[in-house]
Amino acid sequence: MRSTSEQELVERCRQGDETAFRELVDQYKGMVFALIVRTVTDRARAEELAQDVFLKVHKGLLYFRGESKLSTWIYRIVINALSQERPRAAALSLDDVGEGDRPQLQLGAEDRSFGDLLLKDRLQKAIERLPLQYQVLVNGHYLKGMRYEDLAEALNLPMGTVKTHLHRAKRQLRHLLETEFR
Amino acid sequence: MKNCDELEPLIEAIADGSLELPPEQLAHLASCDRCAARLERARAIEQLLSLREAAAPPANFTQNVMAQIGHEQWRTERVIDLGFNLAMAAGIFAILAGGVGLAWSLGLLTITVDFDAIAQALGGDFTGRVLSQVQTIAMAAVLLTIALALWWWAEAATD
Repeated sequence: MRSTSEQELVERCRQGDETAFRELVDQYKGMVFALIVRTVTDRARAEELAQDVFLKVHKGLLYFRGESKLSTWIYRIVINALSQERPRAAALSLDDVGEGDRPQLQLGAEDRSFGDLLLKDRLQKAIERLPLQYQVLVNGHYLKGMRYEDLAEALNLPMGTVKTHLHRAKRQLRHLLETEFR
Repeated sequence: MKNCDELEPLIEAIADGSLELPPEQLAHLASCDRCAARLERARAIEQLLSLREAAAPPANFTQNVMAQIGHEQWRTERVIDLGFNLAMAAGIFAILAGGVGLAWSLGLLTITVDFDAIAQALGGDFTGRVLSQVQTIAMAAVLLTIALALWWWAEAATD
């Protein structure tokens, strides 16, 4: 269900109000870009995809019936865009980190408990190995402002299933990283 | 070992705080190094995931999106314009053809073709006529090429 301000914004966009669409882009660009760039690590490609998402939003607003929240509808477009852009990361190894790529990070005490400065980088590579739906869940769930409900609606899954899948995704991540650390 | 296997699929739920264990499993977790290590790793992953920074879009992102939308609209309008022009041309042609056809069927118009005159025009005298106009034809060809090149350049620049 849409809030009044969201409904007004959509109506203004439909009437061809350019300022309204600019507002819409400003409102959602952070979330859209962050979600895409976490899944498609090539920043330039991520930017192209994020722009394409907003072009699709612009074209599709005429057909947006308002049965779901605008944000959910936009996330659905993001997920479709990502599923068409199959990541080639499946072929990547967790060892596929050159000397030059090694991050020089000042990690917290908890991070050091893993005893490896490469963990963050390896975690990213492990995420890239997950099935797309798990990637979207892991990448989306930890973005500020993204709720279980948004993910569930965007992925067309019940809330309980989203939670179960998220736990499975993190379990797969742990297994991938445990294998690495042996 | 049985407890370890039972606990393994629950580690992530324990790590993110969405599951509270019954006392028996809590006791096992406290005494089992293997499960404790798994939980520590799961908690470290949980923390790393929640600490990941959200990359911000470039400063000119909205501007770029609006420019692309403007360009898309321009392209759509151009296609509509082209369709309209073609439809107009087809309509005018149909009206003219209809008029001519009607006049011809009513006997108001007769069309005769003088094949002898055409044969004569295409004969020896035709080449001479073309040669005398070479300069004009070349100039027209150059102008047409320049116009096409300018059109192509303008299209490429806007794309």
